[in-house]
Amino acid sequence: MARVIRLYEKKRGHRRTGSARVGRLGELLFFAVLSLLGVVGLAAMFFWLVVPQWQVSHRFVPHTCVVLDTRVRKHPTEDLFRPEVKIEYQVDGKTYVQWTYDIATVRDDPSSYLPDQKEQAEAAARFVVDPEKPREYPCWYDPADPHLVVVCRGSKWWTWLAFSVPLSVLLIGAVGLVYTWVSWDKSAERKAAISSRLAPKRVLRANGESRPQFPYVPDGKEITNSPGTKLRFRLPMAASPGWPLFGLFLAAVLWNGIVGAAAVYAFTLFSQGRPDWRLNIGLIPFVIIGLALLGYFIRRLVMTTGVGPTLVEISDHPLVPGGNYRLFVSQSGRLKVQRFSVALVCEEEAVYRQGTNARSETREVFRQQLLCHEGFEVGSGVPFEAECTMQVPGGAMHSFRAANNQVRWKVLVAAEADGWPPVVRGFPVVVYPPSEHNILAYQCTDRL
Amino acid sequence: MHRPIVIIRLDGNGRVYRPGEVLSGEFRLSALPERPPKALEVSVLWYTEGKGDPDMAVHEFWRYRFSDQLSVDLRRPQRFSTQLPNSPLSYEGQIVKLRWCVRVRVFLADGKEVVGQKVFRLGGIPPAKCIGNGFAASQRTALLGVVDP
Repeated sequence: MARVIRLYEKKRGHRRTGSARVGRLGELLFFAVLSLLGVVGLAAMFFWLVVPQWQVSHRFVPHTCVVLDTRVRKHPTEDLFRPEVKIEYQVDGKTYVQWTYDIATVRDDPSSYLPDQKEQAEAAARFVVDPEKPREYPCWYDPADPHLVVVCRGSKWWTWLAFSVPLSVLLIGAVGLVYTWVSWDKSAERKAAISSRLAPKRVLRANGESRPQFPYVPDGKEITNSPGTKLRFRLPMAASPGWPLFGLFLAAVLWNGIVGAAAVYAFTLFSQGRPDWRLNIGLIPFVIIGLALLGYFIRRLVMTTGVGPTLVEISDHPLVPGGNYRLFVSQSGRLKVQRFSVALVCEEEAVYRQGTNARSETREVFRQQLLCHEGFEVGSGVPFEAECTMQVPGGAMHSFRAANNQVRWKVLVAAEADGWPPVVRGFPVVVYPPSEHNILAYQCTDRL
Repeated sequence: MHRPIVIIRLDGNGRVYRPGEVLSGEFRLSALPERPPKALEVSVLWYTEGKGDPDMAVHEFWRYRFSDQLSVDLRRPQRFSTQLPNSPLSYEGQIVKLRWCVRVRVFLADGKEVVGQKVFRLGGIPPAKCIGNGFAASQRTALLGVVDP
């Protein structure tokens, strides 16, 4: 007999043998427990921290007292401290003498103890003990039990910060609970339809970029926002080297700054005739790493600036399959170029998860050589310039971007120069779906 | 007891659909389940296959709930139609494949589901492997047999 519910499951690739319903139930229970923990935590903190403060502010009677003594009391087991003030006050003709401070101290609450002993001593020292001429201080006592008295009202700043812990637990639980409840027993298609209805822009604009009439095709606005000098648009580079270079610079400065400070301290000790050899020897690998980091940064900087900027301009954008375009390429710098080539490239990118890691794989599916020059020199202030025509193949797939899968097009400029490692720079372009005429042509091809 | 099968038929079956064109067709169940189904969903959607994690988006979605009073004889063809979008087009890449389909999901009274799916092609993009690397544009066009205007 087949089991009604399979609790234990095996995973075979994308196929799972377990019960989806039991899985969802477990998910629902998990988020319900999380929400419950959040609610209980919030309630406990409210009654533990807020209610006593509220009672002191609204129910306790204002009064005056005389300070007899002050002290800083240490926690019986831990390295924590709290200020305490011994006061004398009279209620209905009866004299009371109490050690007190705030409501947490009166209730002997663990939260009344804090780690900074100096700060607690300063808090206690605010109350002046003068047996000759006792000074009066305000105090507040509980009319139901005059033994309960405080000389300090208000809450500590961390009281409110502590609420963020149960609040975040409640928030995660509640959001998870609502999501699991809403998606309960709903098909993948229905969930997709609901999410697209909730966010209509996503349906129309796919990834927040595409034009409404072409869902899931990037609109390439960032490509057309820079006009060219020779042709209509100047294409931006796929990954500008500026930010990685800046990150490398920051890392080199931070590392060498810290190591440098330690080295200066070691040198000071050495010059004073009391060298710390353990420090000196321990610093050596850190200094080596720092120098290597600095060297790598300088090499990257020279590589980036030495080869010089590459400019690519195009006669029109976005591209369409079958369309012809003019391309202008300019390479600056002082270079003895062995090989300089320009190509139109299409590649697919797939993102997949392996456990908790997200990996991506890229596959080039099309390459069209547009230009290739060999053995020439680029002089300072006289850049190498070339123009060529480019035709996007008629049956080409348009640019496509979804969460995990992409098809993207780019103009790839590769340069090999004497004394420099090969440089490859990509300039993305967007290819739109083919025009109606072309589609009819492909249909004919399809039938052949 | 055999579970029913969903049978989907598209008008002009097997042809390539153009962007913006109306897709129409019908679906039916091969047999009636023991008890009337609870609900039925018809979706026109695209999904990806290949190396990456799957992506999916629903272009058109219809859901019908059946009660004891309202039941339909699902053995009879039920028609549907929708205007297809301009993109994304069907694509048979090397590590990314994009497919369009009509999917019918029937929720049976016993809590089980019966799903039927009919894949169709939107646009006539040839498979990626057909595009030869390194060919000049004119040569490749000739290779594909595409006639430029």
